[in-house]
Amino acid sequence: MSEKICKVRSLHDRLKESLQSRELTHPRCQQKASEIFDLVYDVSQGRAGKDHLAGILELANQLTSESLTPACRRLGEDVRHTVQENREVFESHIQTHSCPTGDCPMLTPAPCQLACPAGIDIPTYIMLISEGRYAEAVEIIRKDNPFPWVCGLVCTHPCEFMCVRGRMDSPVSIMDLKGFAAEKAMSAGDYKNPPKMPDNGRKVCIIGAGPGGLTAAYYLALEGYRVSVIEALPVAGGMMMVGIPRYRLPREVIDREVNMIVELGVELRLNTRLGKDITPQDLIEEGFEAFLLAVGAHGSYKLMIPGEDSFPQVLSAVDYLRRVSLGDHRLPGKRVAVVGGGNVAIDAARTSLRLGCEEVTILYRRTHDQMPAHNEEVVEAEEEGIQFSYLTIPKEIVGENGHLTGIVCLRAELSEPDESGRQRPIPVEGSEHTLPVDAVIPAIGQEVVSDGLDDFKEVGWTRRNTVRVNTVSMQTYQAGVFAVGDAVTGPATVVEAIAGGKKAASAIHRYFESMPQPELPSVPVRRKRTDFCQVPASLKMDLKRPEMALLGNERRRITFQQVRLGMSDEQAHNEARRCLRCDVCIRCGRCVEICRDKMGIEALKLGYMDFDNPGPTDLKITAERCIACGACATNCPTGAMQMKDRDGDRILSLCGTVLNRLKLEYCEICGAVLGPARYHDYIMRRVNEISPSLVGRRICLECARRNSGIHHAGIQPPKWK
Amino acid sequence: MVFRQGQKVEIFRQSDDESWESYMDEFIGMHGIITDPDTSKNDPDALIEVSLDEKGTHRFPQDCLRVITPA
Repeated sequence: MSEKICKVRSLHDRLKESLQSRELTHPRCQQKASEIFDLVYDVSQGRAGKDHLAGILELANQLTSESLTPACRRLGEDVRHTVQENREVFESHIQTHSCPTGDCPMLTPAPCQLACPAGIDIPTYIMLISEGRYAEAVEIIRKDNPFPWVCGLVCTHPCEFMCVRGRMDSPVSIMDLKGFAAEKAMSAGDYKNPPKMPDNGRKVCIIGAGPGGLTAAYYLALEGYRVSVIEALPVAGGMMMVGIPRYRLPREVIDREVNMIVELGVELRLNTRLGKDITPQDLIEEGFEAFLLAVGAHGSYKLMIPGEDSFPQVLSAVDYLRRVSLGDHRLPGKRVAVVGGGNVAIDAARTSLRLGCEEVTILYRRTHDQMPAHNEEVVEAEEEGIQFSYLTIPKEIVGENGHLTGIVCLRAELSEPDESGRQRPIPVEGSEHTLPVDAVIPAIGQEVVSDGLDDFKEVGWTRRNTVRVNTVSMQTYQAGVFAVGDAVTGPATVVEAIAGGKKAASAIHRYFESMPQPELPSVPVRRKRTDFCQVPASLKMDLKRPEMALLGNERRRITFQQVRLGMSDEQAHNEARRCLRCDVCIRCGRCVEICRDKMGIEALKLGYMDFDNPGPTDLKITAERCIACGACATNCPTGAMQMKDRDGDRILSLCGTVLNRLKLEYCEICGAVLGPARYHDYIMRRVNEISPSLVGRRICLECARRNSGIHHAGIQPPKWK
Repeated sequence: MVFRQGQKVEIFRQSDDESWESYMDEFIGMHGIITDPDTSKNDPDALIEVSLDEKGTHRFPQDCLRVITPA
């Protein structure tokens, strides 16, 4: 498809070709073309400023108007046409330092940044953490996510799944490093809001103070909008506050980061339910011109079994977790059954244990390996003493005198895989049994509660009962109404809601400015270019992902204290140094190929470069084989591979990882740098047959030529007949 | 097919689901990793989160995905 070819890159290549082909015969034309090439090169390298485009167009116009040769005129027209037709692409390169197609090697975001739904510039903040610059790291994170501390504790970290280091050994602990930096910056009082734009007088109303709504509030407030957030609950934070238990995400963390948003002038109206306490019409009359629906998915699916509605001891997990989060710490019962296999089920079970329930059992109709819950959550629950009853299907909830006494269940077997490969739990005949419990907590899924949204009459709904939006702009069918978070995706993740909030803020701004909305998802923005962190190859290989210290099991079972205790300074610095800097090394493999195929040395064993079929990686082996010829560095398109002479050594490094360091040798005649002995020997092996006088000597090519000339001074050229 | 976290998958075709958007056509043939399979229900209808190699993280209907490497 045409949009896959970067227009900046293709113009760069055409200009290069024109200059090399000598079709531009007139010197002035050559000079202008060369100047245009330099400017386009800057754009493709992320070094262009705001005047570059105007400069390119001015030069192109000169080429066209002067029309010194037909080739000159054609080139000028081509440049002008390309820039004018693709102005957004050129501007995007200049403003975001990113190339959407990846054709401009210097502007290809790292896989971790691309994987982050919010598009955080991960390599940059990791490097800043390695240098102890926590406030700057937080500043970088908050350009894309106003909740670095929250996400440092509870993010699902898709970035770590794509982390290239994971193909070598294990991914960098990106999430933990983010939490570490946020905590350090907050503790030092260095966690600051960026300056905001002057008040523009436009009013935006956000329905729901969850991660999506508050993120939009943050970015809109920074743009100068007057933002009010309507929240039905008595606290802000949405599911972060009432869906995630405190042992995973302390309330103080949410409060501190929400307060940072409120500091920007965002108005929070708590205990205000849309449709009951206030209507959309009231809000329009207050002067709100745009709305963002961020109501979350606070409803629960029902088990649809007899007895479910007969006992007050049947509590949906969402309601139960909300109740506990808001301070109601009454026991649901001494023996509790939680039905479901997702993270919410695990949260409800672990919460019950902490409240003092004596026996907590999770009933799941499939097998352990099919549980949707994250494995580490399951392991921690098992450690704490939660019982798991797999292949168990609830059939009925029973009780006496209005009090729940048990849950009748059937054992199940998994069917043979169907056409789609999915195995279904099939009840085993005669396996009915009753589990004696005092409370049942269904946790089988959540849904959007649309109460109060009916007044937004043109907003469309999907068959999944979620708000229908264009997921690029988060726009609904109703003009001026946008939607984000679980209300759009169904129950999803905090970071997806944050990503949606950021997109919605940008779309709302465009709506006010009457700008067209984007048609394609945005490309993450490179926020900064940080220097490499110098690490010896052996250390880079040997550093292992740290084991996070956990709260003792005894305390975990009885308190809501945070379970994951964070990293030490040393752990964090070392972990940051494991980063491979994939924002610079684009894993094109050119270095490996040249070393192996052209030089015949095979000193680079970088198996991690292949996404589909990663091979073994050994960074230490380079020091054993590399001759420091520099072919890899010369051919590296991004400057990831570098070779430098320093303090008498020649040093080869890949994104700061020192792969090889060899002592330099000098010409025994003139003292010029010869390169390391290994390199010299390699050259000698190649030239000894044609220049035997060099064998055994350490002399540079210049001196060798002179030397050879002296030896052959007596030779007379044959006479011309 | 039950998708699990960490599996490598391929977007092998356009989905018939209403949640498929036109910009996703560009993703056909791409490989990625399942990052959030289905947070609660093991529901064949659920949209699941996939991080695509070089193309970001998106939610897709399951009928357009096939596993290329187990987790």
